[in-house]
Amino acid sequence: MATSTTTYDWRLALPLGGFLAVFFVAPLAVLFALSLQVDPKGTAYGVSQYTAFLGDAFSLGVLGTTLLLGLEVTALCLVLGFPVAHLYTRAGPRMRSLIMLIVLLPLLTSVVVRTFAWIVILGRQGIVNSTLLSLGLIATPLKLLYTQGGLVVALAQVQMPLMVLPLATAIGRIDPNLADASASLGSGRWRTFVKVTLPLALPGIIAGSMLTYAAAITAFITQSLVGGGQMLFMPMYLYQQASTLQNWPFAAAISIIFLVAVLAVVTVFNMLGRLSRGLTEA
Amino acid sequence: MDFDRRQLLKTALALGAMQAFPGLSFAQARPLVFATFTGSWEEAHKAVLVPAFKKMAGDAQIVLDPMLSVDQIAKVNAAKANPPIDVMLHDPGPALVAIGQDLVEPYPVDKSAYYKDLISEAQVATGPAPFFQVVGLTYNPEAVKTPPTSWADLWNPEYKGRVGITNMNSTLGTGFMVEIAKMHGGSEANIDPAFAAIEKLKPNLAAVAANPGALATLFQQGQIDISPGNFNAIQILKAKGVPVEFVAPKEGAIAFKTTIHIVKNSPNKELAFKLIEAALSPEVQAKLMDAPYLIVPTNTKVKMGGEIAKVLAKDTDELKKKFVFQDWKKINENRSAWIEKFNRDIKI
Repeated sequence: MATSTTTYDWRLALPLGGFLAVFFVAPLAVLFALSLQVDPKGTAYGVSQYTAFLGDAFSLGVLGTTLLLGLEVTALCLVLGFPVAHLYTRAGPRMRSLIMLIVLLPLLTSVVVRTFAWIVILGRQGIVNSTLLSLGLIATPLKLLYTQGGLVVALAQVQMPLMVLPLATAIGRIDPNLADASASLGSGRWRTFVKVTLPLALPGIIAGSMLTYAAAITAFITQSLVGGGQMLFMPMYLYQQASTLQNWPFAAAISIIFLVAVLAVVTVFNMLGRLSRGLTEA
Repeated sequence: MDFDRRQLLKTALALGAMQAFPGLSFAQARPLVFATFTGSWEEAHKAVLVPAFKKMAGDAQIVLDPMLSVDQIAKVNAAKANPPIDVMLHDPGPALVAIGQDLVEPYPVDKSAYYKDLISEAQVATGPAPFFQVVGLTYNPEAVKTPPTSWADLWNPEYKGRVGITNMNSTLGTGFMVEIAKMHGGSEANIDPAFAAIEKLKPNLAAVAANPGALATLFQQGQIDISPGNFNAIQILKAKGVPVEFVAPKEGAIAFKTTIHIVKNSPNKELAFKLIEAALSPEVQAKLMDAPYLIVPTNTKVKMGGEIAKVLAKDTDELKKKFVFQDWKKINENRSAWIEKFNRDIKI
């Protein structure tokens, strides 16, 4: 394996380091300090905001449903995105640019517009319901908007590019000869997929999953417009405490807990990736 | 003229710094900053209030900075000594928070030419109310054939799966819950009857919208046919051709004072006073009452007309009879606990 021996002067990293310190580390430190205030007036310091959150089944439930929502969206994006990415790497140049255009198109539209489009699609008189009604498959409109299922579908569409792009890159790097080699050694398509393609695409799957996951659980606009006011997820909970109730310490504690929870999930993603790679190599 | 590279760079940097830190360059004379609300409020204020102010204040510079009340409080709170805003606009709940946190200057009532002409409810020394917001019932006349007359109509089994409400984050949502509580023997201090009533409303509920704006969208989509709603918001929808009507329920329409405040430590107190005077003046209020703004006037010298006279009240006396004002001081004491309870209990 070739190793690069070029060394760079560490001082080159100073501007970025300084930028991150001022605009990332310092605000985070302020946020953490704020979360240690016992009440909004800052009369005393302690961990009461954290114990209030962690000792409350309702708050933990909000955290749980938010993390679960992320998993559902990520799984749906993976299941729908993998074939698209696979098709992209196998297609001709013309088809390729068409697929890329379709994948990228949503990124060029505002998330607000896309979310409103989903309200139109999922509504009582929306495209889905009116089609089903006219086909005579249902008698009364289905409730699609303001349901967890509707939200997962809308979020999956909104975040799909984040899954497909890293996947397409990873799958594109796999040497097509490997699949032929696998076939010539007697593997069927399915076995080749599980034993060869999937492990080699793993970096893309992990990168895509992390991006989709992080984007899905923090998608304030889509969550509140498609999910509605009766489904509470962490971003809305946070907003409610910070803005409506002006309870900044609790809001800060929610942010820190959310941040830690997301980092934990991302770490698990990474570990799973490493673990499964280890298994396939063994 | 001959350009020196160094000189050019220096100028560019200075200009850039002025952009990044406007406080530096305008420390002495920054324009008056008026934090209005977003949407139709901003439009109305840009079209009517700003020109009237400029006429009064000798063409002084003014900047509109539209944002929610709660965000205005957060912004001023973050820089109390040198606030980035001079004039704030607040619904009753946030207004009390701002006053409680000592963020507003008392209004110089003695100097004011219009204060004494305001209806008594609008005369607030911490910041007068130049506008009212009115909440009543809104419905789709194509789907709801007999116009509703009471909040109780929302419970009508006929509207199964057709009713929309908002959660308690908004003034509208909280005000509605307080009114429902009052109907069932509760009060601003006791909202439990409203929660019991909402429990019974569940079969009818099609949606709990995250905010009043989302409620309007649901009318457009035919997702809901009847809901509590804001008079102004409904007029905007109507103007867009959405079939929707507003009606003041017989229990009384809920009226929210929208108060306007001079921010404490503002470097532009004199201009701020002039802007508020303009907002209280009968000329501005009369213009804001007309279509398309349809803002309910608080100055008794303004004669009610148009849609407001037709749907709400033909004069101040009738207005006072038909409007219900709520005690937001009491409401604020418990509001966070209620929002928590709503979070927990209302799942449909």
